Amino acid sequence: MNRVSYLVREAFVNLRRNALVVTGAILAVFISLSFAFGALVVNELVRVNTVAWQQGVHIIAFLKDESDAGIGSDAHAALFSELLTWEEVKTAVYFDKADAFREAQEILPPDILSEIDPSILPASLRVELHDIDLYQNVQFRLVGSPVVRKVVSLGDRIEALSSLSRVLNRLGLGLALVLGFGAVVLIANTIRMAIYARRDEVAIMKLVGASNGFIRVPFFIEGMLEGLLGAALAVIVVWAFSRNLADAGEALPLFNFTLRDSFFYRWGILFLIFGGAAGLIGSVVGLRRFLREADGARPVVGRRVLEEV
Amino acid sequence: MIRLKDVSKVYEGATVAVRDVSLDIQKGEFVFLVGPSGSGKSTLIRLLLREEAVTHGVIWVAGKDITRLPTWKVPYLRRSIGTVFQDFKLLPRKTVAENVAFTLEVLGRPRSVIGPQVGQVLELVGLADKTDRYPRQLSGGEQQRVSIARAFVNRPPILLADEPTGNLDPATSVGIMKLLDRINRTGTTIVMATHDHAIVDAMQRRVVQLESGSVVRDEASGRYETMSEVP
Repeated sequence: MNRVSYLVREAFVNLRRNALVVTGAILAVFISLSFAFGALVVNELVRVNTVAWQQGVHIIAFLKDESDAGIGSDAHAALFSELLTWEEVKTAVYFDKADAFREAQEILPPDILSEIDPSILPASLRVELHDIDLYQNVQFRLVGSPVVRKVVSLGDRIEALSSLSRVLNRLGLGLALVLGFGAVVLIANTIRMAIYARRDEVAIMKLVGASNGFIRVPFFIEGMLEGLLGAALAVIVVWAFSRNLADAGEALPLFNFTLRDSFFYRWGILFLIFGGAAGLIGSVVGLRRFLREADGARPVVGRRVLEEV
Repeated sequence: MIRLKDVSKVYEGATVAVRDVSLDIQKGEFVFLVGPSGSGKSTLIRLLLREEAVTHGVIWVAGKDITRLPTWKVPYLRRSIGTVFQDFKLLPRKTVAENVAFTLEVLGRPRSVIGPQVGQVLELVGLADKTDRYPRQLSGGEQQRVSIARAFVNRPPILLADEPTGNLDPATSVGIMKLLDRINRTGTTIVMATHDHAIVDAMQRRVVQLESGSVVRDEASGRYETMSEVP
C-alpha cells in the first residue's frame, strides 16, 4: 500500500514538475481526438439524416385495371397480399382508383383536374423497403408480374444517397481511426521525450536497485492521465460545438444537426477509455526501449574470443 | 563476501578491460582498487553491480553467482549493495531527504520506518539541517555525503565506491574518507576505486593494484605505490 501511494504520488509530482511537456502531451491528444471525435459526429449526422431521407415510399407499382383482358377480378388483392410476404418489404399500401383521384386532387390545380377522367388513373401499390439497397430485387419481381403496368422507383436518387452515405461513413471512420492512431503516436513520442529528458534520473534509479516496474508505474500513470485529460477535453469541446451547431441549424429544414445525448455518452466514454489506453500504450512504447538499454549490456564475447584478443 | 574467479571483460571492438582477475574479499574488509586510468578499476566495480556482464569467469556476491543472475533479479542484487560515484548521481529533482529515502521506497519500507531511518543517516553524514535542500544547492562534498547516506541508509553489507573523492578538494576528501571508515567499522565491506595517493597511503588498508586489466599487486596493508616505485 505504501509503495502504491508512493508511485501515485511520484506520478503527480512528475506531472507538476514537467508542466510544459505534460501540457504539450495533453494538447496533442486533445487535438487528435477532437478531430477523431468530430469526424465521428459528422459521420453520425450523415447517418441520421440519410436514414431520415430514406424513410417513406421507395417504389410505386402502377397496376393494370382489373377489367383489362387477362387480369382477374381479385388480381390487385392477390398481388398486394403476395407483396406483403416479401422479406424486403417493410410496409405496402394499396391505392385504388378513388385514392389516386383524391391524391390528384391534392396535387393538381383544378383547371387541369377538370380535364382528367378519374377512371384513367391507375390503382397502385406504394412500397416501403427495409433496406433501400435492395430496391432492384423488388422492382424486378414487380415488373415481372402481369398485373403491373409500370414500376417507378427512386432508384437513382436512392443509389446516389446510399453511395454518398457509404463514402461519408467510411471517410469519417477512416479519419477517426487515423487520428486515433495519431494520438497514440503523439503520446508515445511525448512520453519518450519526457523519459529522454530524465534518462539520467532513470539510470540512477536503476543503479540504486529500482526495478523496471517501480520506474515504469509513475510513467504509466502519467501517460494515462495525460491521455484521459486530452480525451476529456476533446469530448467536452466537440459536444459543446455540436450543441451550438444544433442550435444554429434549427432554422435549416433539410438537415438535422441534433444528435441524441446517448450518442455522446456512449462515444464520450469510449473516447475517455481510448485516451487513457492511448496514454498507457504510449508510455509502454516510450519506455520499453529505454529501459532495455538501461538494463546493462549482455556478454558480447566468450572465452574463445578472449583468447584471440 | 565477494569472490571473483578468472573474471575477464572484453568490450566490443576487442578492448580488454579486465583480464583473468581473481580476488577474495572478506566480510568487513576495506579494499582499495588502484591503478592508472583505463586499468579496469571502474569496470570491476561495474561488473560487481551487474552494470556490465562478464565475458568470462564467475563473480560471487554473498555466496551468489551474479554472472548468472537473470536481468529481473539484478535490482535485488543492487539493493544489497550501496554505491557511491564520483559524480554523486543524485536525483536532481528530489530533495536531500527524498534522495536518501528513495532507496527505502524502492525496498517498499513503510513511511513510519523511512522517516526515522533517513533522519538517522543524515545525522551520521552531518546533513541533518539540510534535508529540504536540492542537490544543486549543495557543495560537492555535501552532495557526496548525501550519496553516501543514500548508499548506507538500508545498511547494505557491501558498499562500492568509484572514485568518491575524485571531484573533491583534499580537505573535503578527508571528511568523506572518515565517513567511509566509520561505515566500514560497522562491519560493511567497502571496495573503493581511487586515484588518490594520499588517501590510500593514509588509510593503510588492503590495496589491489590493476594494470591493463590484470591484478599486479594485492597487499593487505599497502600504499598506493610499492616502495620500489617511490622515487
